[in-house]
Amino acid sequence: MAGMTVIVRTIARLLFPFTFLFGVYIVLHGHLTPGGGFPGGVIIASSVIMLLLAYGIERTQKRVGFLQAEVLESVGGLAIAVLGLFGLLLGIAFLQNVFPLGELGQLFSAGNLPLLYLGVGIKVTAGIILIFYAMLFAFRGEEK
Amino acid sequence: MDFNYVIAMLLVALGLYCLLLKRNLIKLIIGLVVLTDGIHLFLISLGYRLGGTAAIVSGEMFSDLPGFAAHAVDPVPQALVLTSIVINICILALALSLTIYAYRHYGTLDPSKLRRLKE
Amino acid sequence: MSLELLIQNALLVFLFVLCLIAIELKDLLYSVIVLAGASVSLSVIFYMLQAPDIAITQAAVGAGVMTVLFVIAISRTRRKE
Repeated sequence: MAGMTVIVRTIARLLFPFTFLFGVYIVLHGHLTPGGGFPGGVIIASSVIMLLLAYGIERTQKRVGFLQAEVLESVGGLAIAVLGLFGLLLGIAFLQNVFPLGELGQLFSAGNLPLLYLGVGIKVTAGIILIFYAMLFAFRGEEK
Repeated sequence: MDFNYVIAMLLVALGLYCLLLKRNLIKLIIGLVVLTDGIHLFLISLGYRLGGTAAIVSGEMFSDLPGFAAHAVDPVPQALVLTSIVINICILALALSLTIYAYRHYGTLDPSKLRRLKE
Repeated sequence: MSLELLIQNALLVFLFVLCLIAIELKDLLYSVIVLAGASVSLSVIFYMLQAPDIAITQAAVGAGVMTVLFVIAISRTRRKE
């Protein structure tokens, strides 16, 4: 995929920050409003894929490479595991809340739920970008 | 409300028809998506009640939890459907990758011609 | 019949017609784009059935990721059925 015309590139460049910010909003407000880790991660991944389709693979890969996405996916999985073991180390159940609960309806409340959603969001973003890279590079050596 | 179930069953029938009669691997995957959409519509319609509100507790509802529970829709089918959507996108990616590999290997997308061994 | 129920029934009929068109079209690329439209229609129905969580997920997955996955697979194989 070699990239598209100048109109598509300009629109994609202008639209990328807003889509990215909306995805981050969905992830961070997952415990208050509809949404959560998976939809927010899918929206962030869609913004990166939009850049990928508009600018071609080579230029996007400098920004979000294959190795970076793999490392990010591992970091997301590790965050969920570490949060779970936190409760286990203190002598209560796996994934049990150990942080202060805060006030209902505030952004920084509900204990470890926002951190858990953050981990899920990072993992889903990296995973979906990895699926796209894998499908695009499946037969790269044989072509042309 | 009965119309929801009619459309859901029609979508499932449409997906089964596509899976049984079409002769193209990507068209078969499209039929799979339509069938899954029908099942999701059926499950969400099961949990709905007339005049209900969404099952999300915000600040002012917290003082009147029994009244909230009397009006909210059933959240259990919604959690099921959320899991089902996640699994659906994974199965879609796997099936499309297998389709690309099959096309490279056999040079066709017709499932009835995939039986021969590559010589 | 209230206005909301009327809109919901119209959207249901729209969803069924779009799925029928997506299955019967001969050009796979057109078929995938019509399927994305059906997905957005289903997401609006989910919102009217008081499931906003599912509506957000269905819109993001159905119109965003699923379409691009299909388009990549079609660009790697054949476009006509």
